[in-house]
Amino acid sequence: MMPMLDLENISHSYNEERAILSNVSLKIMAGEFISILGPSGSGKSTLLRIISGLEKQTSGKVKLNNNIVSDDNYHSPPEKRNLGLVVQDKSLFPHLNVLRNVTFGIRGKKDRDNIGKDLLKLFKVDQHEKKFPNELSGGEQQRVALARSLAPKPNILLLDEPFSALDDDLKEELYLETKKIIQDKKMTVLMVTHDKNEADIFSDKIIFLENGRIK
Amino acid sequence: MNRITNINFWILFPAIVFVFFLMPLVAVLSSLFGEYSDNWNHLYNFVLFDYLRNSAVLVFGVSVLTLIIGTGTAWLVSNFNFFGKRFFEWALILPLSIPPYILAYTFTGLFDSYGTLNNLVRNIFELEQSYIFFPNIRNIFGAIIVFSFTLYPYIYLVARSAFLNQSRSTLESGRILGLNRFEISFKLAMPMIRPAIIGGLMLVIMETLSDFGAVEHFAIPTFTTGIFRTWYGMGDLLTAMQLSSFLLILVAIFLLIENKSRRNAGFVSDSSTHSPIQIERLNSRYSALAFVFCSIPLLVGFILPTSELIIWAIYYNPSFFDDRFLDAALNTITLAVVAAVLCSMTALLINFSVRINKNKILRLLSSFLSIGYALPGLILAVGIVQTTTFIDSNLLNKSSLALTGSLFGLVLAYIIKSYALSNNTISSGMEKISIGIDNSARVLKSSGWNLLGSIHFPLLKTSFFTSILLVISEVVKELPATLILRPFNFDTLAVSTYIYAAEERMRDAAAPSIAIILVGLIPIIIITRMIRSSRDKGAM
Repeated sequence: MMPMLDLENISHSYNEERAILSNVSLKIMAGEFISILGPSGSGKSTLLRIISGLEKQTSGKVKLNNNIVSDDNYHSPPEKRNLGLVVQDKSLFPHLNVLRNVTFGIRGKKDRDNIGKDLLKLFKVDQHEKKFPNELSGGEQQRVALARSLAPKPNILLLDEPFSALDDDLKEELYLETKKIIQDKKMTVLMVTHDKNEADIFSDKIIFLENGRIK
Repeated sequence: MNRITNINFWILFPAIVFVFFLMPLVAVLSSLFGEYSDNWNHLYNFVLFDYLRNSAVLVFGVSVLTLIIGTGTAWLVSNFNFFGKRFFEWALILPLSIPPYILAYTFTGLFDSYGTLNNLVRNIFELEQSYIFFPNIRNIFGAIIVFSFTLYPYIYLVARSAFLNQSRSTLESGRILGLNRFEISFKLAMPMIRPAIIGGLMLVIMETLSDFGAVEHFAIPTFTTGIFRTWYGMGDLLTAMQLSSFLLILVAIFLLIENKSRRNAGFVSDSSTHSPIQIERLNSRYSALAFVFCSIPLLVGFILPTSELIIWAIYYNPSFFDDRFLDAALNTITLAVVAAVLCSMTALLINFSVRINKNKILRLLSSFLSIGYALPGLILAVGIVQTTTFIDSNLLNKSSLALTGSLFGLVLAYIIKSYALSNNTISSGMEKISIGIDNSARVLKSSGWNLLGSIHFPLLKTSFFTSILLVISEVVKELPATLILRPFNFDTLAVSTYIYAAEERMRDAAAPSIAIILVGLIPIIIITRMIRSSRDKGAM
């Protein structure tokens, strides 16, 4: 079986003195949920930015669905990779209402509103579809961000500390709901976190990253 | 680390704009390497030193007066509570809506031997008709007053902002170390805001050196009037361009000082530790003095000239709706809107390009484009005439003047001159959009035009329309470039005002002047709103 994501010897640095990532290699099979656990500054978020195409690695190869999306000679931009990304600060579009945020990434489909509404229902925020992001609580915003990332049916969902800004009660509630949705949709997920409990709840496999190297 | 791997619109567009902005500059400066005609003998022997001396006297006089008015009023409204303070905070910017040439025209009407004020004094005190109370204003001292009372808001605005950004704890440390209230102001507060004031002063100097309308009306030989006379009087464009190059080099020096001052403007406290300065209430005697001090610039720079214009318009010349006025108004507003939309779109596209490409060369190139605000309109016009003539004779039909005789050059001049306004407005709006928003949109398959149209433009709508309004008000006031680059028989409000004043028909100039001032009030309203919102925060 071909891996959904294949990272080969990814290294990255902003200057010669300090490497952010050193020879990171990783394979994720379809339907797997893998968490990368590590302290702040270990290079976790940089790795997600490289996979999503927001940053180009200094050396190494990124393959998605067995296609090279980035190596020394080629770099496919994020909009061409069909990925989902949820980050800690949610980054919802402030000028679009909840439904328009969720359907933003769906191109050329007549039933995009229905797809959006179904996802909002799934994440229990369908009653807020006409509201704008600033009218939602932190937890509701994160549900919308998760719904938005799933709307274009991405090959892989990348989660960058998606629950860290939420309080503990809300976290527990959202953990269970998100895990169920991801399992039902058989999503391939790569999550970075510094929370061991979070990684334990979700993951099929946990990888430790320290000083830019896999331990 | 984003590298540019292929040439696309977002790289090409800034490069093309850069070429268009650079061409007039190169055209002017290239004259330095051309032949120097015999007219230089005439210039050297008879007028060049007058140009230099008058320009130096103007710059010195205007600098001293604007520093006193701008810093003094800013110090009062930022540090003290007195009668009328809230009104003066925004009203002191009003003279910015009046271009120096309009103040010069109205002052002529007010202070001439048989002008409004001398007549008033004679009538009140029943004096003889030959008695002249107010002295002649059409000289270099009159010009210094005109420039000082229209340009001091440049210093007032930066000084007020710098005073408000000072840390209370720093000033209180001075009190503890034994300085009294006035020593605190002169030994601590003023030196701390010096870089900001120098930045404002450089803008004042550049505006003074660039002016054509006021000095021409007062018949003062300066660099700008000299360039105009050499070109149109002597018919020697090359020498006019060489003179322009020297003025350009002078302006570039002031621009460099202004940039350096802006970088050093950080003697003020950083926001994380900032505690606003304590405002003191003045007793009734000092409060009255402060009121008078703040009233003078407002009276001289705004109330007197606008009153005179309104009186002229009402009593002598109700010509607001004659054909000439309506034609000029329509031409002006059409030109201003076209230039403002194009300028704002250019700034939007270039800022977006810099944002998505994260390229140092693009960033540098974008900052270069902003130097247009420092270019005197006259020099810009000279450069653009050269550029369009070159394009006409080498790239287009040699026998026609398709570009030179069209509005192309004029719109280009407005865009170059106003780009800094658009750029500042749009780039500060863009900085407020989190980069996370871009990342989310890109992962959701939105890039390039789609990213700009669906995310950035809707979020920047306010900045974009503010930029359009600011450019419109700038374009409506512009005189020298319009005078030279306008197609034959194409008048704008500024040109109409100039022509009426040149024919000594001051009262006829009232209608277009009032229209220019009304449009010039737009940025004042915008700045006033900013001042109001900053009042609660303690800084602007």
